[in-house]
Amino acid sequence: MTRALGDDPASSPADDTVATGGPARPPFQAAGPRPLRVGLASFAHVHAAGYAALLRDRPDVELRVADPDAGRATDAGVHPRGAELANRLGVQLVDSYAELFDWCSAAVVCAETAWHRGVVQQAAAAGVSVLCEKPLATSVADARAMLDACAEAGVILMTAYPVRLHPDFLALHEQVRAGRIGRVLSAQGTNNGRAPFTDRAWFADRVLAGGGALADHTVHLADLLGLLLDAPPTRVYAQTNRILQGQHPLVSGGDIETGGLVVIDYADGTVATIDCSWSAPASYPAWGGLTLSLQGERGAAGFDAFSERLELFDDSAGSPRWPDYGTNLNALLLEEFVEAVRTGRQGHPDGSAGLRTLALVEAAYRSAQTGAPQPVPSTD
Amino acid sequence: MTRLTGDAAALRIGVVGAGGIAHSHLAAWQRLGSRVRVFSSDGRASEVGGRYGATAAPDLAALLADSDVIDVCTPTYTHPDIVRAAAAAGRQVICEKPLARTHTDAAQMIEYCAAAGVQLWPGQVVRFFGEYATAHAAVRAGRIGTPAVLRLSRRGSAPGPEWFADETLSGGIMVDQMIHDFDYARWIAGDVATVYARVVPGPGRTVTAYAVLRHISGALSHLVGAWAGPDEVFRTSFSLAGSAGLLRHSSAATSAVTWAGVHDTRAGAVIPGGTARRSPFDDELAEFARAIAGGPAPRVTAADSLAALDIALAAVMSAAGGRAIAIEEVQR
Repeated sequence: MTRALGDDPASSPADDTVATGGPARPPFQAAGPRPLRVGLASFAHVHAAGYAALLRDRPDVELRVADPDAGRATDAGVHPRGAELANRLGVQLVDSYAELFDWCSAAVVCAETAWHRGVVQQAAAAGVSVLCEKPLATSVADARAMLDACAEAGVILMTAYPVRLHPDFLALHEQVRAGRIGRVLSAQGTNNGRAPFTDRAWFADRVLAGGGALADHTVHLADLLGLLLDAPPTRVYAQTNRILQGQHPLVSGGDIETGGLVVIDYADGTVATIDCSWSAPASYPAWGGLTLSLQGERGAAGFDAFSERLELFDDSAGSPRWPDYGTNLNALLLEEFVEAVRTGRQGHPDGSAGLRTLALVEAAYRSAQTGAPQPVPSTD
Repeated sequence: MTRLTGDAAALRIGVVGAGGIAHSHLAAWQRLGSRVRVFSSDGRASEVGGRYGATAAPDLAALLADSDVIDVCTPTYTHPDIVRAAAAAGRQVICEKPLARTHTDAAQMIEYCAAAGVQLWPGQVVRFFGEYATAHAAVRAGRIGTPAVLRLSRRGSAPGPEWFADETLSGGIMVDQMIHDFDYARWIAGDVATVYARVVPGPGRTVTAYAVLRHISGALSHLVGAWAGPDEVFRTSFSLAGSAGLLRHSSAATSAVTWAGVHDTRAGAVIPGGTARRSPFDDELAEFARAIAGGPAPRVTAADSLAALDIALAAVMSAAGGRAIAIEEVQR
């Protein structure tokens, strides 16, 4: 059994005290051999196929997929979804979310971000627990509505922030919270990668995705910082630009940012910076990465979420590659979700983690638009 | 490193100061084969100069009388008076960075030298480090496309001399240390429009500072500077992301020789690479000497150094006021 944050004594007190709504639903057939019915709601997200394969291969899970909006994707011809992808993955496709949610107990929502609210509300109304891709929504208002819907229905809502489940992050978290480096004074994080719109065009659509790199790559680090630091973020400054991938028609003809830098002040004086830029070129040896370094009163610590890699020089590939042999973070996330649904406890990261980080991103966009630092509203 | 030749070799060099950076300059001048005299108000000129084959001058007037080039290696707050005296005496000037503690002082130094008809070259030595120079050439050759997001980091132990810790004298970490990376960011991505910075004091004299620059080109730069504890190993890194590529370097990952479990006997030193066969100081001072002797223009000018100072001063204003600063606010 893999470790998950909810099982860890070092998990953030903040997370334990944040109200997550109504009671979780009763345990699902905990003693029985019957597999958990999990529905994958949409193939839109770049992680969807990976989730499908992981869930398909779990003996304790039965998987079905609905991808009703597949035909609306502008790049449907280039990046197949719907029946074609379901067939390729060997998973059963159903026609509608209604049919999916009528059948399953738990759903992984991978729709375009703008549709998260509607899909999650529909799932909650059907009594289905949800693991939702990040960002949780394209607005704080939508995210709040999702949390409310799940609380009212008594179903679990989790946000797909798998990095906090990384075993080495858990160890780092435990040590930092125990005071190993003293109070954290400042931090800098990078979450750089290839632009996701090269795999799914809707990531370049501000309406569907809620933004570009700033929306996509600020939240993982904001979530980790939320766990590591004592105080909430109070002020954020952000700058963005559109130079990376600037020649790509989805960028030159669109309005999303591909580069961004964020500076966050926390209530206790801690300062953190996040580089959310999609700065990994096509020839980069991996999809990208995530790093976080912490400066404390009595020492420093660093974290590289994808440090477990080989360096491969393959003449047939042209450029060097970094094959990853580390923990599959998405597998850990699904494990936590399945376990939470089975036992009826709230899984982590929960919906409020998604809401908190989204509030930071919204404030960061206000800063990027005005050029001035902006207050970060509390979501508690 | 080849020795200077021709007119550049004949230049009589007068170094002012005998502190940390003077050691780097004196060693470089010695390797370049120049005749050097030293004056230092702390009385260490004879002892320090002697290590590098340089003779001591009894006072600044004697040094000015006997030099073609004045190389100012004193604490920042003393630069304006010394440069003014050198210019008044008609001497060519090399001045360590930052040129001065304020925009006005630095701008006036440039004006004095221009009015006196003497050259003024700034010790922005980072442009002469192999990794930074090679990366700049690669960017200019279009290897990463248009610069988009730059990351620049510089960490070392907090400098020993007391005046560094006094912001009224040194300007603090952003003016004294991060000015190297402010200059480099501007060299790569052009003039800066706005600056936002945060300074986080650590225990004792340690401090970490963060700055975000928006360049007029639209490029963004993220800078980190740290003055850390006495055992901190000096290290720098950069990552230059562009529209068509990415260029990275880490000094920690590229050291030919590494040490572990060894106390740094140069604790408090902030100047790396003093004994390398190819010192960036050799390249820097040789380029300045050749320019003074009528050769080609160096890769960095006093105007560049003033522009870097303006970015640093904007960063100081931003950190103090908690707001983004337009660069014009400094120049006003």
